[in-house]
Amino acid sequence: MIRAATTPHPRLGVVKLASCDGCQLTLLNLEDELLAIAERLDIVEFPEATSHRSNGPYDVVLVEGSVSTPEQLEQIHEVRREAKLLVTIGACATAGGIQALRNFADHDAFRAAVYAHPEYIESLATAQPVADYVKVDAELRGCPINAAQLVELVTALLTGRRPNLPDEAVCAACKRAGRVCVMVAQGIPCLGPVTMTGCGALCPGYSRGCYGCFGPREQANVSSLSRQFISLGRSPQEAGRLFAGFTGYAEPYRDAIVELGGLPGASLAGERAHRAMGAGVNAEGKS
Amino acid sequence: MTNVTKSAIGFLPRAGFQHLIELLAEDGRTVIGPTVADGAIVYGEIHHVADLPQGIGAEQAPGHYRLVHHADERFFAYAVGPTSWKRFVFPPTLALGESRRDDHGHVSFGPAPREIPRLAFLGVRACELAALGIEDRVFLGGPYTDEDYRARRANTLIVAVQCAEPAATCFCTSMGTGPGIRSGHDIALIELDEGFIVTAGTPAGSAIVTRLDLAEATAEQLTAGADQLAAARDRIGDPVVTAGLHDRLLAKLESPRWAQIAERCLACTNCTAACPTCFCTSVSQRSDLDGHTATTERRWDSCFTKGFAAVALGGNFRPRVQDRYRQWLTHKFATWIDQFGTSGCVGCGRCITWCPVGIDVREELNVIAPPPQVSAGPAEAAQPHAPRSSVFRVEGVRRETHDTVTLALSTPDGIDWSTARGEFVMVSLPAVGAVPISISRRLPRGLELTIRAVGPTTTVLTGLERGAEVGLSAPLGHGWPVAAAQEHDVVIVGGGMGLAPLRPIVDEILAARSRYGDVHIYYGARTPSDVLYTEELAAWAARDDLEVGVTVDRADATWLGRVGVVTHLFDRARWDGTKALAFVCGPERMIQATVNALAGRGLTPDRIFISMERHMECGVGLCGHCQVGPFFVCKDGPVFSLAQLGDVFGREGI
Repeated sequence: MIRAATTPHPRLGVVKLASCDGCQLTLLNLEDELLAIAERLDIVEFPEATSHRSNGPYDVVLVEGSVSTPEQLEQIHEVRREAKLLVTIGACATAGGIQALRNFADHDAFRAAVYAHPEYIESLATAQPVADYVKVDAELRGCPINAAQLVELVTALLTGRRPNLPDEAVCAACKRAGRVCVMVAQGIPCLGPVTMTGCGALCPGYSRGCYGCFGPREQANVSSLSRQFISLGRSPQEAGRLFAGFTGYAEPYRDAIVELGGLPGASLAGERAHRAMGAGVNAEGKS
Repeated sequence: MTNVTKSAIGFLPRAGFQHLIELLAEDGRTVIGPTVADGAIVYGEIHHVADLPQGIGAEQAPGHYRLVHHADERFFAYAVGPTSWKRFVFPPTLALGESRRDDHGHVSFGPAPREIPRLAFLGVRACELAALGIEDRVFLGGPYTDEDYRARRANTLIVAVQCAEPAATCFCTSMGTGPGIRSGHDIALIELDEGFIVTAGTPAGSAIVTRLDLAEATAEQLTAGADQLAAARDRIGDPVVTAGLHDRLLAKLESPRWAQIAERCLACTNCTAACPTCFCTSVSQRSDLDGHTATTERRWDSCFTKGFAAVALGGNFRPRVQDRYRQWLTHKFATWIDQFGTSGCVGCGRCITWCPVGIDVREELNVIAPPPQVSAGPAEAAQPHAPRSSVFRVEGVRRETHDTVTLALSTPDGIDWSTARGEFVMVSLPAVGAVPISISRRLPRGLELTIRAVGPTTTVLTGLERGAEVGLSAPLGHGWPVAAAQEHDVVIVGGGMGLAPLRPIVDEILAARSRYGDVHIYYGARTPSDVLYTEELAAWAARDDLEVGVTVDRADATWLGRVGVVTHLFDRARWDGTKALAFVCGPERMIQATVNALAGRGLTPDRIFISMERHMECGVGLCGHCQVGPFFVCKDGPVFSLAQLGDVFGREGI
């Protein structure tokens, strides 16, 4: 839609939950486009860029991070009420993020292992993607999100068309880029066939398997791929752990991790907790 | 050494090979050939013999590829790797055009700037020559051609090298494409330990060959060349029985094996990307932030992606992976023959090696369609033509329902559209998108399109005002055979938006009413507020030479007419179906029910015509999205007789 000059600019907010700010940085790093975007949108809330706070209502709100604390849970409901369009950005917001690996283990044990005074830490037992709590209108995947996809989303919002965000496997982009399959040619396990494209098949371009940053694609045949990992010489548990990255909590990666033996998280957490209580620290230092 | 005469066969010693590369470069060509990168022999730029994979080969198996070292010094002792030459004549991404739309709604369309590189392909195998031949038929052999492909192809010189090291995944022998080189090359080489037997296939090849410092090939060398070819052929064997494969495969559309393959298949698209003949594409637009300028870009797509057979409102004709695998395999080995007069497979084995989970098409073919009859269709003559958008102006907007409008569009170039054939046009708006829309009326200086807002593009189109401009392709596809209905009774059955493409039939009949027998028009809509063309329906109903019935699924307080499905309108009609032709358009389920009801009234499949809905992207049979069995719905349809569709009609997941 072509906007008349008199139309007020849409109000854009950026909201952060449990996250590393990397996705916000992607927006901040749009050096060529950010000024042009700022001319067409009123960016009213953007914690990574300005400490100036402004509440909604928003025409569009970009949400980074997963819901990990009781406070964030309250916040996301408030943001939803204030936003016409809620777009989750990044692996944390769309899949729970790396912090959602705690969902496979004992939250209290982790808390006790990491913090000297766990009683001061208020966190939820699990870190969840935003869509588990409120309706999400669109999502940008990735850890971090892809700058070109972000510009595409903003452009589509401004021009009133459907954002062109492909639903294909990483393999499609990988082969268009002319890359050699790392799994077939080098036996390196790669999540590309079950992962949503968006990164431009970055890791296979460096002879690494895909880590699944963009999360599972539609109809991801995770069980067939895990069988192949095993036939490439990985143990079932190793195969399962390959799915346990930034989007490991997303189905069906989550199911694969559990089916293939789970993560050694609970025992690890227990061990650390034991150390934190003074039993193992010195012993480790000496051994 | 002396230059040999044209009739004699030349021999190029290994030390002279660098000279060949230089001659190709002197001819102004970038030489593309085999080179080692990322653990494989890929095709890249070759500047020097040192770039070639000398002494290196590859071990291949389903889902497995590893480089191996040879004892000899050969440059070409490997079987085809992950790259196929299609990448260079049919690029993975290609800017097709640039378009603009200003604040006043004026639009313009132009071609994208394009540079066609001058290339030499070095090391093309027999199977790959066959693949290029197949792509020639796909892109240049039909009524619509891909001019970008034509230009790239014409600018390429081909140096073929006969295969002597087939892989365990090869089956060119079965597909009849190799390993011996027969045609399609400019220069052909047979590599021996000490050098190359050289022959030219074209004058362009000959111009290079005559500048090489060649010896005359000895009888021993020629025998050695023939022997290694025979050995290669023996090693491959004949793994797939292709006799009758077309019919055998299409007889097994309901095989339980499809579901079993889907348990393994990742639908990752590696097979279609690696395949040297797969040609499916999708088109998208990139625009500036204001939507003023946009670039239309085409990219390789695959029948394995979720969106490939999806249509508006969330419909998907091939929702399951087993549907997509069946589409791919049956297209490649069967319906391709109906479309292009040749199999789509050359037996290069890439889809086997590069399948991450090692699905082997040879095995699947033998399990699904075990052996043995031969089938082939004719190739169509080439008529260089590509539809280009012309700018049309919105002359009038009529709101039909809450979500549907009819746009009257005029062409500024004065072409008489009232007689234009074709069923639909691709309507494009810069930075928004392009959608296929059926013509709902032909006008002397333009046409009418009835558009329902079902997605972002149609939402923008239905919001256009008088004076706005859009891009329109020439009318595409095969429409209703209205002329064939002369001297017959006519039954027209529409459901929902399906009345729009049927309206030109009524126009055509009314323009020469006496030539037709009885005419019955039956129309069903969801609710009274969804009824299209209410005034025209009333006008038609007022005539004594038309029978008009309208029904709705759900009535409201204002509705005094019939309620129920559209077939109820003629359940008890007295007309005789054996004298009638029927034209049916609407949602898939409504078409199914109508066709059953019509058949029950004596209409034979050759006299029932339906319009099929499918995902259309290019509109001219080049992108692959809309395929149904052997048909491209855009090019061969969208209107088909039931007799034409045969058992494709009503089949799930096709």
